[in-house]
Amino acid sequence: MWKKYAGIAVVVVILTVAAASVWVHTDEFTGEDLQRWDKEYQSVVAYGRELWVSAELGNNGVSCAQCHPNGANTHPETYPKFQQQLGKVVALRDMINWCLRNPLEGDPLELDSAEMIAIEAYLMTERKGVAIAPGKH
Amino acid sequence: MSSRSTISRRRFLKAAGMAAGAGLLPVSSVRLSFADEKKDFTFAYISDAHIQHIRGTKFVRNWDRGLIRAVAETNLMVPEPDFVMFGGDLAQLGTKPELDHGAEMLSKLKHKTYCVMGEHDYYLDLGEHWSKLFGPQYYSFDHKGVHFVVLNSILTFDEWTHERWPSAEQRMLEMAGLDNPNGSPFMVGEKQRDWLKQDLAAVPTTTPVVVFSHSPIQKIYKGWNFWTEDAEEVQALLKPYASATVLYGHVHQIQYSQIGNIAFQSVMATAWPWPYPESYAHAEMDWPVMTVPMNRADPFFERDATGWQTVDLMKGRTGLNYTLYNNTARTVKFCTKTGRPRDVSYQDESARIPPQMHY
Amino acid sequence: MKNVLAVAFLILGMLATGPLAAAGDGPPLGLPPVPIPDDNPMTPEKIALGDKLFHDTRFSTTGEVSCATCHEKEKAFTDSPLKTSEGIDKLTGTRNAPTVLNAAYMTSQFWDGRSPSLEDQALHPFTNPVEMGLKNHQPILDIVRSDPEYVAAFEQVFGIEGREATMDEVTKAIAAFERTQVYGNSPFDRYYYLNDTRALTEQQVRGLDIFINQGRCVSCHVIEQTQALFTDNRFHNIGVGINDIQGDIPELAHAFLEADYTLEEVDVQVLGDARTSELGRFAVVRAFNDIGAFKTPTLRNIDLTAPYMHDGSIATLREVVEHYNNGGVTNEGDPVNDFLGGGIRPLDLSEEQIDDLVAFMEALTSDELQPPAGNQEVTQ
Repeated sequence: MWKKYAGIAVVVVILTVAAASVWVHTDEFTGEDLQRWDKEYQSVVAYGRELWVSAELGNNGVSCAQCHPNGANTHPETYPKFQQQLGKVVALRDMINWCLRNPLEGDPLELDSAEMIAIEAYLMTERKGVAIAPGKH
Repeated sequence: MSSRSTISRRRFLKAAGMAAGAGLLPVSSVRLSFADEKKDFTFAYISDAHIQHIRGTKFVRNWDRGLIRAVAETNLMVPEPDFVMFGGDLAQLGTKPELDHGAEMLSKLKHKTYCVMGEHDYYLDLGEHWSKLFGPQYYSFDHKGVHFVVLNSILTFDEWTHERWPSAEQRMLEMAGLDNPNGSPFMVGEKQRDWLKQDLAAVPTTTPVVVFSHSPIQKIYKGWNFWTEDAEEVQALLKPYASATVLYGHVHQIQYSQIGNIAFQSVMATAWPWPYPESYAHAEMDWPVMTVPMNRADPFFERDATGWQTVDLMKGRTGLNYTLYNNTARTVKFCTKTGRPRDVSYQDESARIPPQMHY
Repeated sequence: MKNVLAVAFLILGMLATGPLAAAGDGPPLGLPPVPIPDDNPMTPEKIALGDKLFHDTRFSTTGEVSCATCHEKEKAFTDSPLKTSEGIDKLTGTRNAPTVLNAAYMTSQFWDGRSPSLEDQALHPFTNPVEMGLKNHQPILDIVRSDPEYVAAFEQVFGIEGREATMDEVTKAIAAFERTQVYGNSPFDRYYYLNDTRALTEQQVRGLDIFINQGRCVSCHVIEQTQALFTDNRFHNIGVGINDIQGDIPELAHAFLEADYTLEEVDVQVLGDARTSELGRFAVVRAFNDIGAFKTPTLRNIDLTAPYMHDGSIATLREVVEHYNNGGVTNEGDPVNDFLGGGIRPLDLSEEQIDDLVAFMEALTSDELQPPAGNQEVTQ
């Protein structure tokens, strides 16, 4: 009989301790968390930069950086916008794919691929601080 | 060598010939007639072809088409140009196939062609194959009373050139990236500056001097090597001249400025356009504020924002007529009233069109 | 009986919807409002007068040629299947008759845009030696100033006495009639702008995707978020015709650079000599950008207006797509011309993709101009 109660008591204690520890950490993140998460982000930005200067992204050896050094003149802050070359309002990644197909004579990336996210992260980072202006041609 | 002339510059000029019609005949310009020996003339300037090898006999078609078209149109010029200047970066990675393929396309030009060295031509074999095709890397010549100088202005520190990189290919790749932080600033270097000093010693200060270089002989934006490290020293050598002009390539866009007595004008690329440094949010630079930007390209049209230009020499000063595809032609020429280059249509802010306010 | 009804329905449909569009029912689906110049407002009487002038063969030296000779209503306002049009005495020019359908949305007229408006365009064929052949417009004025029906009509429409009629009024009336010939409302429009997913077949939907993406068509044959003109109103060298005369370009270009032709002279030159015709827009503006460049026609109703291109040299839509797929040459592997437009490049389309693209273009025929259901083949 007491074994049953002991079992329950142990479970209750464990749950209380667990709850206590969860209760302490749920609403807060630390300075270290922020640093770590920023590093995570920058690793993706670095991957994006790698892709940006790569001659392998398309099929003709041309890299994005050849026409867009430091991602200049891509204007990521203006998306979504009406994109003349696609005939409709699109997001940044749609135009990235357009460039992959056309000047780089390559294949488009999957919209939710790691590569697409990395390229967007790189472009946004190079453009940090510029006011967003969606729709601006 | 021009003769020493002491004829006063205050002369009554009679305009003869056709006036430049915006967008109609980019080859024509205001032709001034002179009684003295400084005859006006026009030459063609093609630059930055960036012929890029993929594999085998395949080259990037886009850049090939740009050069082919510029050559074909230059050959149609009426009246014919006195000569053609090729402004550097014929190849993309300086390889023999690229230089040979580019040279073959240039060989279709009907006129005498001079060439300027670009960094994309140089850093694979330090100009060895290029020199076989095109001759000396720096030199001068005279034409109708103007002294022309061609400089190789894309050299850099010896350590970077000879010791930093494990292979020539690696060195070329590192220099090929415009925004590559591993790059190294361009310069003319002491050897050429000494040569230039000697060369100019025999040129009277009243003779108009025009310098061709690939990099701008000024300091615009270091991050993209729109830069010449010893710009001030070279400018100092040109200071005594009443009329001095630097025509440069490399930047793939319309730029112009005036520093002291020297007018600076850039030429377009036939390959692809570059954004203006001011469009890079994190660029710290010294922008030639007078430049009216060219229209932003529509990348669907591969020739948009690329082009070539004719250069009119009038009284030793230059006027550039930019042949731009899918865009209104632009003319930027030295204005004696303001003493600096000026866009003849768009310099006034009220005259700008939307694509120029777009960056 | 069914055929008679079908034909009658077709004719009634074509006659009815034209003026309706002009009477203020709103633009056709997929098109913006028709641009109408301030000095030429539309009225039913003016339109009817323009229609009459458009069909009047007396305005030619032989009395046999009118605008409708080359722009026949039953042939979508072209002279299909002629490659190049035939004027008086069956004299041929060098260019294929463009359709009047939706010409009202063009910002310039003729294949080389030498005319800035419908009104101006109407002046030129009358005095071209291979079209109506008149020396000047006087014979037209003589007729409209004396024929009682015209006199009455000009008075009613323009409030002028018949004998004061000038070519200004004549061309205004013709232009007003042409502005009624606007047709949208195709299966594509219903699919794209009304979200009617059944309006296009699966193949045509694939074709639309190719049109926008791999085919690269949309940049010149414009489709936009709320409307589709299928033209950018610009001029492009796509390598038709000019490929055959590449060696002649310097000589032809110099002739134009050195002469200083008026627009009337250009009109005669380009229709008079096939090689000169290939200069395209260059003959008009003499800019290097425009060597061999021709205006992007609209693709609306393109299935009805064969053969294709400024010289009528491409017979079918499939061959058109093949020309583009080859990167601006009709036979794969031929050298492209030096002045080829920057938007033209090989497309790497498969045979199936080419079929899809053609099927899509067949979906651009306005409902009002389709043969009635039952006569239509359903393609899958």
